Amino acid sequence: MITSYRSTSKWLAVVPVVAMLTFVVAPALNIFIISLNFDSFAILTAQTTRSVVWFTMWQASISTILVVFFAIPIAAVTANFDFFGRRALISLISVPFILPTVVVGVAFLEFLPTSIHQSASAIIIAHIYFNFGLVVRIISSRWQQINPDLDDVARTLGASRTRLFLTVTLPLLKNSLRSAGLLVFLMCFTSYGVVRILGGPARSTIETEIYFRAMQLGDVSGALILSILQLVVVGVLILLTTQFGTTKSAELSQMVFSRIRKPQTSGQIIFITSVASISASVVIMPLVSVVRRSILIGQKINFSIWHSIFTDEEIFKSLMTSLKYAVLTIIVSTTIGLFGACAVIYGSARYRFLNLLTALPVVVSAVTLGLGLIITFDVNPIDWRGAWLMMPIAHCLVAIPIVTRIISPTIRDLPNGLRDASQTLGATTWQMWRTIDLRIIKPALVSAAAIACAVSLGEFGASSFLVRRNNETLPLMISRLLGRPGEIIQAQAYAIATLLIVACVVIIGVVDHLGTEKH
Amino acid sequence: MLDCRNLVVTYESTPVLQNLSIYIDAGEIVALIGPSGSGKTTLLRCIAGLEVVDSGTIHLNGEEITTRSANLRRIGLVFQDNQLFPHLNVARNISYSLKIQGMKQKLIDEKVTEALELVGLTHLSQREVFKLSGGEAKRIAVARALVAQPKVLLLDEPLSGLDKELHARLLDDLGNLLRLRGTTAVHVTHDQHEANAIADRVLDIRNLMSF
Repeated sequence: MITSYRSTSKWLAVVPVVAMLTFVVAPALNIFIISLNFDSFAILTAQTTRSVVWFTMWQASISTILVVFFAIPIAAVTANFDFFGRRALISLISVPFILPTVVVGVAFLEFLPTSIHQSASAIIIAHIYFNFGLVVRIISSRWQQINPDLDDVARTLGASRTRLFLTVTLPLLKNSLRSAGLLVFLMCFTSYGVVRILGGPARSTIETEIYFRAMQLGDVSGALILSILQLVVVGVLILLTTQFGTTKSAELSQMVFSRIRKPQTSGQIIFITSVASISASVVIMPLVSVVRRSILIGQKINFSIWHSIFTDEEIFKSLMTSLKYAVLTIIVSTTIGLFGACAVIYGSARYRFLNLLTALPVVVSAVTLGLGLIITFDVNPIDWRGAWLMMPIAHCLVAIPIVTRIISPTIRDLPNGLRDASQTLGATTWQMWRTIDLRIIKPALVSAAAIACAVSLGEFGASSFLVRRNNETLPLMISRLLGRPGEIIQAQAYAIATLLIVACVVIIGVVDHLGTEKH
Repeated sequence: MLDCRNLVVTYESTPVLQNLSIYIDAGEIVALIGPSGSGKTTLLRCIAGLEVVDSGTIHLNGEEITTRSANLRRIGLVFQDNQLFPHLNVARNISYSLKIQGMKQKLIDEKVTEALELVGLTHLSQREVFKLSGGEAKRIAVARALVAQPKVLLLDEPLSGLDKELHARLLDDLGNLLRLRGTTAVHVTHDQHEANAIADRVLDIRNLMSF
């Protein structure tokens, strides 16, 4: 609690509380209430549902195990060694995670041989690609909190490098591996864009099945029950992991040690070069295949597609819609995220419920959120099903958990002495906030805004429910174009995907640049 | 016993050790003094195999170990801030090296009890290490290093940061322990009094280098 700002907490909490209660809690409760009136629980015992649930579970489990397995060597390199291009590598491997899921799907549609399209393998490979950068970042940042002297002690006590990793490093990374694993499992469990593009009609997760039932079969009751099933599984998983994931407070300090050193042996140089070049190639190759496809028609290079992107009225309109929603998402989600983070940190312990409230959109999942919004806001005077505003609202809701978690640590880590100094020098509360807090959290705010922009540009799950004739965004257009025949039309989809890739590369560049400046 | 000849270590073109030579007899306790940044810790890290030397040789019992991996040297190191493994309790910290050696559990238990008796902390064997006091943690760190039966024990300012009373008590205990076991040791310190009290020989690192 920050005494100087304590009285403002209740006012700051109002906006996030109202927004979350109205647009997340009410729709989620509505799903429960409506489902109770349906006679459709039989769907849970149907063979198709069981196979969808089984597929969702096992593909998420395999994807998670493989993501962590591939991420560990890269985290070892980025957490321990200083080498040419280290920062660029960290930025590069982070790109897939902020890419729109549709673009990842499209990239692997082009990159993978057609023989494994519409297979579980294709989905798992795309999931690994999409998530490994995030896991590398989580593990790497924890690894840097392990005091390097512990490694030295273990070595002098006779531990080989493998033994050191197994008996010291791995146990100390246990909790971050668990959190990263849970996060990836949730991402893969609720995966929508990748499964819709790569899975085809044969492969369905609970998330795609909800969409299929609600929008294509018209079985809203079935979709609602599946939403509840997903909500319960995700909720139980989060509870279980937080229950068993308690850390001994002294196991890791919050300090970041200077573990990073120049490689000393030729073995280390070979390891670093191999890991860095393989991971960079893995990130780049599918993206290059998207760009290549956008300029190839009939095996000949043709830039006319790119001309059409900016002259085709329909595509240009989608581009403008995406940009408009991105701007709205940046403004609204960053404001709500900032208010929420400030209310929790400035206020007393009773404001901590906001942490959970602002995280709800992750638990609820984007597709369920979209479904909840259209079944809740469908009666006068709040019949907003046709309102264009619903889609940017959904984008904001998806962005708020991430935005809040980017801003919170910076505000929490701000030394209170700076505020005290400012006050004793005559600053009012507002002046103190403006000149101390705002100045220091500005880079985090810009990073949060950049990530919110990426979320909005790529949002596909909730948007699939909320799209209307006049407000198709770029990911929705990619999905629609891919479903239509014709080489030029398909190439247009790849050109739009290329635009989104460029946007994401710029965004991650901005975020990482600001992150370095902050240090 | 331990013979370092003409060691040279350079960090980003700044020389840290320049033609440093030192010889230590078996069972001898040598205190190494010198100002901050004079290379005391670097020398210990080179002897332990944690730092690569640019040139020079290190011999242990007549055998060259200059390029030998740290885990194969059997040279123990005690840090200023102990560096007990936070995920292991006291007994598991002490038995760490014994498990690596593949010793049977029964023998490990005996050795751990023996080591704890030696430092007078048998009652703490199951305690989490972050619940230990400063003095207790220090004793456990020494016990952990000694139980591995190192040929040489390196102590990097092990008594700094302790209050006066605890410092005096641990200094006595440490000296007695090393002599009792006949351990060859290099004790790095800033404190001339501490160096005189514990060591058979006190060396200033600046006098070990030739420019």
